[in-house]
Order: sequence, then structure tokens, then C-alpha cells
Amino acid sequence: MDRNHLKRQVDLMKRSLFDQGYLDEQFIQLEELQDDDNPNFVEEIVTLFFNDSARLLQNIEQALVSVPIDFARLDNYMHQFKGSSSSIGAKRVKNECTRFKEYCTAGNAEGCFRTFVQVKQEHAILRTKLETYFQAYISFMCVFVLVIFALTYICLLFCLYLFSWQDKLDHLGLQEVKLDDYMDEGGSLIIDLYYKYDKAHMIE
Amino acid sequence: MGAAVDHVTAMGMSGGSAEGNDKSQGQRFSCKSKLTALVVDNGGVCRAIQTALLRSYGVDTEAVETGEAAVELIASGATFSLIIIEMLLPFMNGPETAKQIRAMGSQSKILGITAFFDERDQQEFLAAGADDFIEKPLSPEIVIPIIRELDN
Repeated sequence: MDRNHLKRQVDLMKRSLFDQGYLDEQFIQLEELQDDDNPNFVEEIVTLFFNDSARLLQNIEQALVSVPIDFARLDNYMHQFKGSSSSIGAKRVKNECTRFKEYCTAGNAEGCFRTFVQVKQEHAILRTKLETYFQAYISFMCVFVLVIFALTYICLLFCLYLFSWQDKLDHLGLQEVKLDDYMDEGGSLIIDLYYKYDKAHMIE
Repeated sequence: MGAAVDHVTAMGMSGGSAEGNDKSQGQRFSCKSKLTALVVDNGGVCRAIQTALLRSYGVDTEAVETGEAAVELIASGATFSLIIIEMLLPFMNGPETAKQIRAMGSQSKILGITAFFDERDQQEFLAAGADDFIEKPLSPEIVIPIIRELDN
């Protein structure tokens, strides 16, 4: 699978997440914070979010089945969950949290149950989509890094090859050919050196 | 990685321009003076994001999980240009934390932050000594004008 195809795939997946309303501009802010010092920032934050939110969802579920329902505690858990959801740009999850809060504030247990199902559903969907997205992104980055390494290796071999000509010419006692003199001539460099070497060999 | 979009330009509250914000020109806004910030939030995700955002603008930032930890830090002599406090903290809530920080004589800019905006919470926070109160997420549109103000 070539690099361009992978990149297109990654870009399309990301665009789809925004177009379908799973993510909002806050996710772009996370990407803006990713740099050489924090190369995996987005993935780390998203992983942290899903670890934390799994715990919070469990707490909410337990609070919902307790008798009587402690709406203040529910409100606290949902407050934290909504805060982190909005901070990573999880738009649909955030919206369901807002609906849940309304029922919770009203002390409406049935409403809380219903919207909590939606919260969990949106959370699970987002998790799956982001896992797939990061897998594709990692694949693209691996190919990208491999290509860079390959190009670097080829350039290194080329330089070594050029400098080996200098050694051969020196060995034959030829007038010193400075490679720097030919640097601007680009492709003609190799041809000129070969010609000088071959001529000297014939003279010998 | 990086979205193929322009860096979000911040419109300051005074409507000022956001020169130096455009990442596509290779420059990100950064504070001129040595600014420090403290993030007080019991949520790990929010703490991490807010800290990273402030640091990206050159603000030396620390983070703690509780109001008590924040009060203790300031009582030990630490000073901060900006303190961002979450509304619902365990044990000592945001407004109470702000009150205690002000009672210690702190002149820091205090920003109350919450997941669900509520006017009563806003009034409580402002009465406790906060300078402003916003709903999450903390974004460049909010942070940059504050940093510019503190920078000047």
C-alpha cells in the first residue's frame, strides 16, 4: 500500500469524523499541540480519555442502579465526563452528556437511564472510530519513516561512491582532482572523473 | 500529523488582531514576559490539555488535582500569573479554593472553569475572587487574550 494512498485514507477518515459530527474543532486544537517534543500527544490524550471515561461510566452506571438514586453524585460524575469529552472534541458524546445533565437536574431517573444508553453508545462508537483512525495513521507514519530512511541510505551510498573516486585518483598519482571544483556540475561530475581515471590507466 | 487547516486565530476580547498566531507562517504566539500558570483540575485529561495549551504559548505551567494542593503550593511561596480552577473539585470546590487563594493576598488572575456553565456558579466564583468564569474547553480564543493582557 503506497504512502499517498495511506495518506488519502487517513485524511478521508479524519474528515468523515468531523463531517458526521463525532469530532469538533477542539480535536484540531489537540493536533496543534502535537510537535517534535510531544509527537504522540493526541493519541496519548485520547487513550487517557478512554481509560478515565470507562471508569466514570462505570461509576455512573452504579449510581443509576443504587436505591435511592443520588442525583448529586450522578451530576458530579457527569460533570467530569462532559468536561473531558468537550476537551478532546468528542462532540456527540458531549451533546448526550448535556441531555443527561438536564434529566439529572430535574431528578428524572427514567430520562437519565435513557440518555445514559445514548452516552455509552456514542462513547463506544467514537472509541472504535478513533482506534481505526490511529491504526491507519500509524501505518502511514511507518511507511513515511521507511521512505525517509531509504532515501537517506541511498544518498549516503552515493556520497561514499563519489569519495571513493577521489581515493582512486590520488593512488594513480594524477593531478589532484578536487571534487569541490565539480560540485556545481551535478550529473557531469561522475562522467568527468571516470574519464580522467580511464585516461590515466591507459597512460600507465 | 497536523490538520491541514489554518491555526485558529484568536480574536481578543478587545477585538485586537492576532498577529503572530498564524502557524502557517512558522510562528506561534508566545508570551514575551516570563509568565507562570497553575491548573487546578481533578480530571487528568483536562489537566493535561490545559497544561499543554498554556505551555505551547510559553507559559511555565504546573498542575494539581485539588484545591488543597493549590492552596498549599501558594502558601509555600509559589506565585502564578494565572490560576485556572475547575468548579467541581473534590472536598474544597473551586470558589472556596479561589477564596482561600485571595485571602493569602494573591494577585494572580483567576479563571474559573466548568463543564456545564451555570449562572449561579459564575456568581459564586466571581464573588470568591475569580476574574472570569468560562465553560470548557479551554481554547486559544480564550487563552491568548489573557496571556496578552498579562504580558502587557
